[in-house]
Amino acid sequence: MSTPVSARKPYQPKLGRSWWLKHNYYRLYMLREATVLPLLFFLGCLLYGLYCLTQGAAHWQSFQLFMQQGWVIALNLLAFAASLFHAKTFFALFPRVMPLAPAWLMISGQWLATLLVAAGLLLLFGGWL
Amino acid sequence: MSSPKRSDEPIWWALFSAGGVCFAVFLPGLILALGLLWPLGLLNSAWLQHDKILTLLQSGYGVTGLAFAAAVICLPLFHAAHRIHHGLHDLKFGFSQASKLLCYGLALLLSLLALVLVVAV
Amino acid sequence: MSEYQLLLQRYDPEHDNEPRQQRFTVQGEHTTSVLDALLYVQQQLDPTLGLRWSCRMAICGSCGIMVNGIPKLGCKTFLRDYHAEILIEPLAHFAVEKDLIVDMTQFLAHLSAVKPYLINDYSGTQPHKQTPAQLAKYQQFSNCINCGLCYSACPQFGLNPEFLGPAAITLAQRYNLDSRDNGKAARMPQLNAKNGAWGCTFVGFCSDVCPKQLDPAAAVNQAKVESAKDFIISMFKP
Repeated sequence: MSTPVSARKPYQPKLGRSWWLKHNYYRLYMLREATVLPLLFFLGCLLYGLYCLTQGAAHWQSFQLFMQQGWVIALNLLAFAASLFHAKTFFALFPRVMPLAPAWLMISGQWLATLLVAAGLLLLFGGWL
Repeated sequence: MSSPKRSDEPIWWALFSAGGVCFAVFLPGLILALGLLWPLGLLNSAWLQHDKILTLLQSGYGVTGLAFAAAVICLPLFHAAHRIHHGLHDLKFGFSQASKLLCYGLALLLSLLALVLVVAV
Repeated sequence: MSEYQLLLQRYDPEHDNEPRQQRFTVQGEHTTSVLDALLYVQQQLDPTLGLRWSCRMAICGSCGIMVNGIPKLGCKTFLRDYHAEILIEPLAHFAVEKDLIVDMTQFLAHLSAVKPYLINDYSGTQPHKQTPAQLAKYQQFSNCINCGLCYSACPQFGLNPEFLGPAAITLAQRYNLDSRDNGKAARMPQLNAKNGAWGCTFVGFCSDVCPKQLDPAAAVNQAKVESAKDFIISMFKP
């Protein structure tokens, strides 16, 4: 009598590089992670703006011209949309990571903060302050 | 059984979280104002003139400028670095040690640049 | 009665080198679960179909499968919620032993790694009392049925099988939050590691698929907060 041989031959599936394209939930996750790409562009603009500030008023004018180019405005529009999508997802996750108060209260409180900052900046730069 | 090595992720996660709050709270308003409305000519306050911005950044013995750079540049940079580092892992680019050095290293360099620039204005 | 096409992933380790698909036609009414349909296939059409199941009421956690690419309990998923064709595969990210049966060894090893039991010096004979408030702290995280759906929903586990994963970290949190337990110090080293809580990027799909609504993603990220606190405390220790 021969010794019994195990018929086990487990098949290990491999996760391909495109796993995140397979399901809407994963696509939204990747979109959330990708919000930092347009953010980086705007941060680059800010750094360039700071550099121009150090170089005097004429350079500051050229920074404004740079910001007025169509492609820069388009990318910043994308950055604006990304910041709002990031805010939506980040605010929803926060009360789950730190449940300090009812979720609806924490979420609306954070949106209120974003709104107040935006209103303050628009009042300041709009000339109403 | 020996316990596994403690990860240094808490440092990067703390910076990521702080940057995430800044990205969500400060950046929408700032992008709207400086990235969209100002270039489109819809904001014409004196506060957008070169000398006024300098006054603004230098107010409070320069603390305003440093706080501005930290909140809207440095911390969001570390937030972005963290997401890109983990995103590279998600996309199976398996050089995690190298991507960590590259992502956080660049965030650190650009953060220092931002701080130097606001001190220099 | 409506007709449904089940597209089953089959894998016979004695003959196949990789999985293949096989189509079966089943009849379903309003109350027919996917598990019912699979048992019909096994009992009436092809007795070689391998699948795990037991309680048929979403408490044993054995009948986890992928239904149209989403981790589900077969007994808690109904044909009525699907169109005529349904793709059924074994739980994702696990090694397939046969047909819909996966190897859960690694999952169970991750569960036991976090010491999922009360650790304390209590040796009295009196019951260990707990207030409703103390119970509420961990109760949500204590309903896990170890079905493994969250591991199939987690791309981080798929990318790195060493990652402790949602259920194990939730279980660690469940005991860490229990007032009768003193074992947190023994569990933290696992959570503090690269493959502990820090392997998570808050994709959050685990919470979506959890049949018991535990919100494992929240538990894992609360474990990150605990690990971060532990990190700071460790800096002040010699």
